[in-house]
Amino acid sequence: MASVSSHGVNTHGNYVYANRQHGLRIAGFAALVAALAAAPLVASEYQVHALIVSMVFLLPALGLNLIHGYAGMLSFAQMAFFGIGAYTSALLAMRFGTPFWLNIAAGGLVAGLVAIPLGVPALRLRRYSFVMCTLGFAVIAQTIAKNWVSVTRGDLGLSNVPRPRIALWNGGFEISDIKSYYYLALMLAILAVLAFIAIVSSAAGRYMIAIREDETLAASVGTPTWHYRMIAFALSAVFAGAGGSFYVHYFTVISPTVFDPFYANTLLVIVLGGGVGTVGGVILGSFMFVALSEALRIAPDIRMIAYGVLLVVIVFACPEGLLPLVMRKIGTSPAKEVANAT
Amino acid sequence: MPPDPNAALSVRGIEKRFGYITAVDGVNLDIHAGEICGLTGPNGSGKSTLFDCCTGLQTANAGRVFAHGMDITGWEMHRIVREARVIRSFQKAVVFKALSVEDNLVLAGQMVGFPGMASTFGIGPASWRRVRTLREQAGHLLDMVGLAHMRHAPAGKISFGQQKLLQFASMLMPQPRVILLDEPMAGVNPVLIDRMMENIRRANQEQGITFLVVEHNLDAMKALCHRLVVLSRGAIIADGTPDAVVREPSVVEAYLAG
Repeated sequence: MASVSSHGVNTHGNYVYANRQHGLRIAGFAALVAALAAAPLVASEYQVHALIVSMVFLLPALGLNLIHGYAGMLSFAQMAFFGIGAYTSALLAMRFGTPFWLNIAAGGLVAGLVAIPLGVPALRLRRYSFVMCTLGFAVIAQTIAKNWVSVTRGDLGLSNVPRPRIALWNGGFEISDIKSYYYLALMLAILAVLAFIAIVSSAAGRYMIAIREDETLAASVGTPTWHYRMIAFALSAVFAGAGGSFYVHYFTVISPTVFDPFYANTLLVIVLGGGVGTVGGVILGSFMFVALSEALRIAPDIRMIAYGVLLVVIVFACPEGLLPLVMRKIGTSPAKEVANAT
Repeated sequence: MPPDPNAALSVRGIEKRFGYITAVDGVNLDIHAGEICGLTGPNGSGKSTLFDCCTGLQTANAGRVFAHGMDITGWEMHRIVREARVIRSFQKAVVFKALSVEDNLVLAGQMVGFPGMASTFGIGPASWRRVRTLREQAGHLLDMVGLAHMRHAPAGKISFGQQKLLQFASMLMPQPRVILLDEPMAGVNPVLIDRMMENIRRANQEQGITFLVVEHNLDAMKALCHRLVVLSRGAIIADGTPDAVVREPSVVEAYLAG
């Protein structure tokens, strides 16, 4: 075993790359999927519900991670796209009785399509102006949901949204018990994570990282930066819209409160607290923070205060998010990985 | 004066004003195919602004820019890079620090390695093959600039001089025809300066790439360039062989005054 310096250069003077890290990631992902698949066997009904909520929030969080962690733009429009996906699915299911898979595709697609005309002016802006623009969009979306009473029923919201029907050769079945919902959510979450990994590890993902790092430098290597920023923005909306669609089929109700800043904040906490710009961080974030807020229900009086204090502690302990901290603790951070491999 | 159709890069009457200040004042310049042309002048003489106007980073108030006889005035930077194969470097922003050394090169080569925007989202054997080809090409370039041993290191972790060499290598990835270098030797130690000059010469001789180099290091410019152009207050005051240009009284005066 060749010795290594603190810079991760072995005795041959080579920077060593770790395939081990790649293997570890796949193993970690497989272990997580296995654990989640087995969870309903041991967890209480309430805990299963909390896990479903985590997976519902995982989708818009992945979208936020794409636009912020990879393309470098902080957007507050995620929950608006989530709401648009939810309302689209609810209306389709209630008025036309369309099947679940069609609704979820439509929810994602409509959210993605709405993102394009919003992106045309918004993506001309940079940094804080862009953030303000997306914030404004979320406010407008909520106002429309509240006031377009003939379609959205205003503050009353839409209720009795049909449960998902899975069409099969024998006529299919309706998802109604919580375990079926759980496995549906798990399947959706796995698909979303795989889609996310495919996007960020593609050549396009490399262009997005380049834009985040330095937009002018990215253009100098031939990146049509505006196009990739737009694609990242629309794809982030598709993730959010699909998440909203599942949300409405699970809770069977949707109201304009979904556009409240509370939910947008939760997404930020998941992505920034978990580990922005990483896949594992967002997965960890969505389980940790939903689980945390549920676990704190044992002390309802101080629940939100404790939640806030914990957030502050996390920010101080690991400003890059939880995942980088965890990786460092178990000795597989990229820097160490380079040093350890021989 | 019409642009020289044989010139790799021609600028005609380029003028750029910032408020009351005229940074570039009606410059005409032809960079001939295959030459290494130096561009120098005191601070604030308009060198970088002229670069910016040629590469789409800034829009000139007047004048036109041609690459190989093709009018590229008003094109966006990424289009100039892709279609005219005119590539530039920056003084400060050098590499993508979060990406590995090798990935910096793969990224730079993607514009020729991937046929269209849709293909950049591809997953599967066709994309893997494309990336593998780019990695092989990157390997050769890293050997050339002497960074092969740190190909997997994050680009932000290598020294600034090494980053400049990496930046140079990444400019060669997309098979450019013209390279504009903005102070490639600033902040680089003498050993790496020699290596940088050697790499520029090799790329020029072996691949026929035309170079326009902005640089203050006159010794390096005299050793490297076939031709030297001096800019002062936004206008060309001397143009000729490096030895002759540095002796011209107007150049000496401009440098002392600047």
